[in-house]
Amino acid sequence: MYSILIVDDEFSIRTMLMDYLEEFYEVEVAENAQEALNLCKKKYFNLVISDINMPGMKGPELLLEIKRLYPETRTALITAYNIDDYINLARKSGVSNIIPKTSPFNFKELFDIVDGLLTGNIFGLRRYMNDNYINFGEFCIKSSKEAKDVREAIVTLLKERLGVIGDMRLILDEIITNAIYHAPAFEDGTKKYEEFSDVVLEPQEYVYLECGYDSEKYGVSVVDKMGRLTKEIVLYKIERQINGKGILDDSGRGIHMSRLFSDRLIINIAPKIKTEVIMMNYFTNKYRGYKPVYINEL
Amino acid sequence: MVDILLLIVITISIIANILIFILYKKQREISEYFKRSLQEKKLRHDTVITEKITLGKQQLEAVFDAITDMICAIDKDFNIVRANKSYASYSKLSVQALPGKKCFEVFFKRKTPCSDCPAKISFTSQKPIFKHQKKIKINDKTEYFLITTYPVNDSLGKTINVIEHIRHNTEEKMILEQLIRSEKLATIGTMTAGIAHELLNPLSGISGTAGNMIQMPEKYGLNDKGIARITSIIESANRAGSIVKDLLHLSRKEEGTSIITNANEIVIKAIDAVRMKDIPPIEFKMSLEDNLPKIICDPGKIQQVFINLLTNAIQSIEAKKQIYEQANKSYSGVILIATHQSKGNVQIDISDNGIGIDDSIKDKIFEPFFTTRSPGEGVGLGLSICQKIIEEHEGKIFFESKETFTTFSVVLPSYSKKEVREVLG
Repeated sequence: MYSILIVDDEFSIRTMLMDYLEEFYEVEVAENAQEALNLCKKKYFNLVISDINMPGMKGPELLLEIKRLYPETRTALITAYNIDDYINLARKSGVSNIIPKTSPFNFKELFDIVDGLLTGNIFGLRRYMNDNYINFGEFCIKSSKEAKDVREAIVTLLKERLGVIGDMRLILDEIITNAIYHAPAFEDGTKKYEEFSDVVLEPQEYVYLECGYDSEKYGVSVVDKMGRLTKEIVLYKIERQINGKGILDDSGRGIHMSRLFSDRLIINIAPKIKTEVIMMNYFTNKYRGYKPVYINEL
Repeated sequence: MVDILLLIVITISIIANILIFILYKKQREISEYFKRSLQEKKLRHDTVITEKITLGKQQLEAVFDAITDMICAIDKDFNIVRANKSYASYSKLSVQALPGKKCFEVFFKRKTPCSDCPAKISFTSQKPIFKHQKKIKINDKTEYFLITTYPVNDSLGKTINVIEHIRHNTEEKMILEQLIRSEKLATIGTMTAGIAHELLNPLSGISGTAGNMIQMPEKYGLNDKGIARITSIIESANRAGSIVKDLLHLSRKEEGTSIITNANEIVIKAIDAVRMKDIPPIEFKMSLEDNLPKIICDPGKIQQVFINLLTNAIQSIEAKKQIYEQANKSYSGVILIATHQSKGNVQIDISDNGIGIDDSIKDKIFEPFFTTRSPGEGVGLGLSICQKIIEEHEGKIFFESKETFTTFSVVLPSYSKKEVREVLG
């Protein structure tokens, strides 16, 4: 059984997380960084989830220390504060998952992220959806000419079946463009295709999309074969966009816009095998406005 | 010999007489000449002085009229003795028509002298009154003035006139109030951000713990009554959570979320968004300019502003509809949405023919927590959030409520790539 350590100075938060997660895993709690480090000496944890702002040593510092001592331990941060303000700190601590403390608390999301971190089972839109998930359709793009049609087909499906599209047209445009033109590269890493040119992807390259919904949200996933993204690059790009330096960048804008204009953005990376971008919107606004960071790299 | 002597004497005396006469004549002539020249000189001198006085008077009058503040001299009975052009133009009369008229009638449009008249005090005390503040409602508009009065005394030391110097400072007052308001807002903003995040922490714990209890009641030994109570805790926590989220939105400075986009698209999306909700039949009339310059903005936030303005418009129409239905009068709601360029900016106007905005609340509607809705329908953060967002975009938001239509206008600076590069260095 996987073991998890939760570090938070707020009693109600750490017990709440423990009560929920102990249904699936072995869970220990600590009130501060020192207590957490002491516990780590006694027992090996597969995952440590830490609050950011705590008296004494802060969360990012603690997780960096844990990574140094136990390189195999997975780490995630949790905060009630504005996540955008902590992306830099997280990147420096090697953390790429920051969970927001929402009200109501989103247990489903917590489970998906925790489970992904522990098992490495991260791919597929379905696993981020509830049991009543309905898949509307799957698409494969093999050439730049098909991109627009596929995008419109997905938008039409959402509009007709659900009556909402959010900003999906805008972000799908960005993400599909990235997948076709920016992701494929030669061995040496240089770009393979020129943006806006007519491109027919090679047989082993493809862009695969899936869309569907459950009782509380709908989403689209975009998978591209190969891909050169790393979680380090993604965090760097997001940070650059947030602090305004990347406003005229071509790359990075797509990721940033997807994070901005969808309720949830999840990026899953299997290095040199595939990259998956999942964008989801909730039907109600209870989880809206929080901008978590969920980047998984195997 | 005697004869010759006598003759000489006579001749000499004659000559002397003649000489005396001539001398006398000459002297008369000379004195006349001097007298005349003196007179001429005096006359010339007088003309020069008169000319100088006239010129000086003209100069003073020009200065008097050139002063943009309003100046007038009045007598004890409030009759205007003299006034400058600014005073005349504010009173909508000519400078010549003013003397003899009562100052309170022409200037303040009143029938009786103002109770706090500083000129009256200057007449009795014979001392100037400095910067007397005056707030007055003229034609339903509140106007602010700063009045200074100076007594003018005659040679016996009696005050015969008082000079009134009136400065129109409505605009200054408004800007000051706006400053105080935004200062207040800024303080509230910084405070709220901290408070809201601190609140979110325990709130998340409350709603999360309660959520666990509902999901796993047996784990906590909960019966049905317990579940019911916990459900109400969750509802309360969630309501508090959504208020906290609103507050965060108001206070959070989200930087660098800008993209380059077309305002029309955002407007259309906002309209689609409000139309998706159940709304009464309202006619949406759109006039969107095709070649609108692009703006650099956070479209999500700007869309939020438009959704907010559209929602307000719809609510205003609903309110009017109710009134008309009760009175059995027919009424159909219209919302006009227009976009256009103005002086390198992009302007978006959203107008509705709803109930309008009452004058008494005009200067309050952008204040946080100001609302006309009943408790529970909203906490009154909508327009203050809009203002905050538009200010972040270096734009302007203002409104005008006329007889039939209320128009909210948003002005956003248009984007040029060059400018952005310069800013980013």
